[in-house]
Amino acid sequence: MVVDDHPIWRDAVARDLAEDGFTVVATADGMAAARRRAAVVQPDVVVMDMRLADGDGAQATAEVIAVSPSSRILVLSASDEREDVLEAVKAGATGYLVKSASKQELGAAVRATAEGRAVFTPGLAGLVLGEYRRIAQNPGAGPGTPSLTERETEVLRYVAKGLTAKQIAASLSLSHRTVENHVQATFRKLQVANRVELARYAIEHGLDTPIAE
Amino acid sequence: MPAEGPDPATPLWRAAQVFRLLSCIYALGFQIAINADLERPTAAWLLLGLLLGWSAVCAVAYLHGFGRRPAWVLAEIVVVVALILSTELVASDQWALDNQSWPTTLWATNATISAAILAGPIAGMLGGVVVMIASTLVKGFINYDLGRNATIVIELAVGLAIGMAAQTARRAHAELEQAARLAASHQERERLSRHVHDGAIQVLALVSRRGREIGGETAELAELAGEQERALRRLVSSADAEPRAGEMTDLGALLVRRASDRVSVSLPADPVLLDANVADELYAAAVNALDNAVSHAGPDAHAYVLLEDLGDAVTVSIRDDGVGIADGRLDEAAREGRIGIAKSIVGRMNWLGGSAKLNTGPECGTEWELTVPRR
Repeated sequence: MVVDDHPIWRDAVARDLAEDGFTVVATADGMAAARRRAAVVQPDVVVMDMRLADGDGAQATAEVIAVSPSSRILVLSASDEREDVLEAVKAGATGYLVKSASKQELGAAVRATAEGRAVFTPGLAGLVLGEYRRIAQNPGAGPGTPSLTERETEVLRYVAKGLTAKQIAASLSLSHRTVENHVQATFRKLQVANRVELARYAIEHGLDTPIAE
Repeated sequence: MPAEGPDPATPLWRAAQVFRLLSCIYALGFQIAINADLERPTAAWLLLGLLLGWSAVCAVAYLHGFGRRPAWVLAEIVVVVALILSTELVASDQWALDNQSWPTTLWATNATISAAILAGPIAGMLGGVVVMIASTLVKGFINYDLGRNATIVIELAVGLAIGMAAQTARRAHAELEQAARLAASHQERERLSRHVHDGAIQVLALVSRRGREIGGETAELAELAGEQERALRRLVSSADAEPRAGEMTDLGALLVRRASDRVSVSLPADPVLLDANVADELYAAAVNALDNAVSHAGPDAHAYVLLEDLGDAVTVSIRDDGVGIADGRLDEAAREGRIGIAKSIVGRMNWLGGSAKLNTGPECGTEWELTVPRR
């Protein structure tokens, strides 16, 4: 499923993906449409723009996952706005690509996302790393706040410095797959923490009556 | 006082005119009480009429605003001094010695207040001193006994206090305006950046994408469009960042300016605030390392900058994926006197009380790791 408020872009991405052998089951121009259609078609992968007419990509990511929990979200953004991207990852996106990526890169990213692998850039790794540091420095950090293992920190730093998974694997004597698992784990922990945080907020504010999960 | 918009000291000017009215009533009462003791009562009444008339004119001038300039305030001081000196005219020397100077110190304070509101505490205190010199001349001797005669202290205090109040009001006003301007320009930038994102950047990205697929000459156009798209995206995202925040500087906002097709900059989401001097030095060292990487790592090499905020320290890593420095080449370079850049980086970091680490080797690029402790 392709979500983008720009009709030309939406069609171009859909066409590229179709040519690349993917089946585009739906397109949507905004958050509301994305939620409705995702609930029906349960897409494997959602290619999500960060700026939508009726919301942002992070919100839309959360809403799509709420109605279609098995969907994996790849953010495809025209900007590298830092906070936006981090919010999308916290909301459950597992990949991030800028729109200047080539058709081949897009295809590879969607394939990786479908296989449950994380798609990331050095910039995104720097953001995630920064987020963990911020959490760790927060004096209110109690048990259950996410933290990185030493190995995960090491891997994220390498990614942020532009090393490829292969190079990292070689330099740390790990398998390629293990390196990817480490990166994914760092994303997942942030997402879990974000959900816990949201749930706590909801309970504290008496909003704990049905939120579609 | 250049009149740009409403004068933030206007409430003070108003309050001062209330004080002027009260001081006039007091001067009138004083005149009635001591009239019989004066040598020339008629002259004193005439002068009091002048005083009341002048006070009324001043009040109008200050309330309307046309009097709020140096010439007018100087005129007021001159009139006050003249009236104080006229004590010699209306009263005997003995009376002058035994009493406060005619037409009361309280009324004379109006000049001090006006000077203070117009030009701040120093002008206010100077006004107070001038008024006091006039009354000292009338008495003929300087009264050092501040315990018995606190007038000078009061004059200075009034000048200082009201002057500072006026200054604070103006500064607060200026800061508020500055903040409002910043907020407005930030909003405008955001609006602009949204438009650019939704329009130009997307279209350029699309053109570059389609063009590359068509190939041939169109591919060249696509390449150009792609370059512009990336440049515009960087411009918009770096325009959003305001490195200066008072005494502190956001190192991330500085570094992101160096991002390009060949330089990737990874930052935390929150600003990394450092003392402005420290941030500038660290940035300069990072740029040294970056320039070095770009010029020596080979034409196809990329450079990666990572900024990390560790709480008690800040680390900037600059890595390139170029040819690296073969073992021994660094020594060779040092012997040839070409080690300037490394030296300058290490020098800057030492000066900051931080450290610079260089990791390099053939085929694995070069990495500088610059760390500065937070004080």
